[in-house]
Amino acid sequence: MKHLVILSFCFMLLSCRKDKVGFEASPYKLEIPSHFPDMIIPEDNPLTIEGVELGRFLFYEKRLSGDNSMSCATCHMPQNGFSDPKQFSVGIDGIAGTRQSMALVNLGWESFFFWDGRKTSLEAQILEPVPNPIEMHQSWKDATQKLNADIQYRNRFFRAFNEEGIDSIKVAKAIAQFLRTLISAESKYDIMYKFENKISLTTKEQAILQTVDNEEWAGYDLFRSLNGADCFHCHNGPLMQVKKFSNNGLDAAFSDLGRGFVTGNPSDNGKFKVPTLRNIVLTAPYMHDGRFASLDEVIEHYSSGVTHSATIDPLMEFAGQGGVQLDSQEKYLLKRFLLTLTDYNFINNPKFKDPN
Amino acid sequence: MKINIYILIILTIIFSCNKDDSNPTSNKNKYLSITVDPIFGTQPFYLDSIYTTSEGYKVKFTDLKFYFSALRNGTDTLTKAALFDFSSTGNLLTRLIGDYNKFSSLQGNIGVIQSLNHLDPAAFPNDSPLNISNAGTMHWSWNTGYIFISIEGKTDTIPDAILNPNHSFSFHVGTDQFLETISFSVINWQAISDKEHRFELKLDLLSLLQNPTRPIDLKKEFLTHSTSGQYSLTLKVAQNFKEALTTK
Repeated sequence: MKHLVILSFCFMLLSCRKDKVGFEASPYKLEIPSHFPDMIIPEDNPLTIEGVELGRFLFYEKRLSGDNSMSCATCHMPQNGFSDPKQFSVGIDGIAGTRQSMALVNLGWESFFFWDGRKTSLEAQILEPVPNPIEMHQSWKDATQKLNADIQYRNRFFRAFNEEGIDSIKVAKAIAQFLRTLISAESKYDIMYKFENKISLTTKEQAILQTVDNEEWAGYDLFRSLNGADCFHCHNGPLMQVKKFSNNGLDAAFSDLGRGFVTGNPSDNGKFKVPTLRNIVLTAPYMHDGRFASLDEVIEHYSSGVTHSATIDPLMEFAGQGGVQLDSQEKYLLKRFLLTLTDYNFINNPKFKDPN
Repeated sequence: MKINIYILIILTIIFSCNKDDSNPTSNKNKYLSITVDPIFGTQPFYLDSIYTTSEGYKVKFTDLKFYFSALRNGTDTLTKAALFDFSSTGNLLTRLIGDYNKFSSLQGNIGVIQSLNHLDPAAFPNDSPLNISNAGTMHWSWNTGYIFISIEGKTDTIPDAILNPNHSFSFHVGTDQFLETISFSVINWQAISDKEHRFELKLDLLSLLQNPTRPIDLKKEFLTHSTSGQYSLTLKVAQNFKEALTTK
């Protein structure tokens, strides 16, 4: 009898226990292109299907801005290679920034973020624009309160992180997950690169390789020729960039110190992060301050407009004569090659578009 | 009696599970590191500092990187490749787990050996210095492979009182023909802790420029990317570099 009472009591305890609802997010299988290195993903933010989906919603979410008018995509538009066609992006209060919006592509391989590299993780970078008074101008507290008021977001966050609550860290993690899926590796250049490096091509890629014309190959030769356009020192490899900060001869004196402002080292003054050239024709205007409206203007800068300064990159080897001195035919060929960097599959990928 | 048997069994289990560390001189999980201290003659070396050559040129270095590959003692390999990047990782060339007793001497190469030099740079393991993510500016993107030695900077070759280092120099040594072998017949591994032994090298940049048999005149010899037309300077840099790199 005594045992029966104890057993009943235990049964009651167990039956009264609150039912804890758990949810295990599903791993997201990221397809790394065959000619790319592995992507190093932070251990505390693995990609999940639910996290990437949430990040996509948040990337296009205007409630992250103070007046519900701006999302990340406002200044990083897919049709512009996830950059902004304006020289300087304008925030919700009508205030323009001082630097051009960087294109968002292949960010999973980046080590520094922003033109001056002041952030060293994607998650840390994402935390900046929301509270920035000249950008989205809203405290994270207010932004997350808005999201918390939306039951769909509450559910999405729960599914992505398997716990209740929404905060800025989770928002940044989810957007970072989405941004890591923005991989561009299907331009004509990718096939040229693989061919040059003896990396196997699919049948489809071999067919595209046959469409690369002599002008595009000649432009590629110029691009990487020391006595031609000499671009390859800073723009090469599958990512079409190298990890460095460089002064590429824009100004004799610097109104924007760039990397120097971050490090405090005068030797870094006037240096900015070397950007990728992927989808370059879509990401105008160019340079950290968007001073060049077209690719033609950029080519002219490197050809004849290079200005010497104390920190100019030693690899700007023809700075003494104002640039690499291309003739009109060479400029034309170089531009033909730069157009091979456009990845239409990336730009038109429905997985990257506004889910609403 | 029963209790004693239980205690005996438990003690037996505990001692049988005890990790074997009976060898007090075991080198398991001990590190070997190799450092390279750049100097400029008798002066300590810093990037972006101004130095004076014997010709009176003012010179500052903005970048200093190089590869070692196939570092070994006979058939014992210490490392397949190591990247020295002074601006990013200071004077550390490599740090890895190993037994210093196996490496009483070392042979290797300045640069990347041919069998590794032309492979897909994205295919190396993530932690390999040859992976394109780690090689960064030290890979030429196409099949010529890696830059073995990269030294960049600015110079003022007008020996007057006005300091104006506005003349760039850039030495990029690469391609298989400029691979240099290197050998250290006696390695004096220094114990820097009970878990790490270190081998220290030094690299004299002044000696690289003012090698007694192959001096480099920065006024006229300021650019090589190892193309056929730059053979002479490329060879000078490769050979001078080898001689400038010595045991500390």
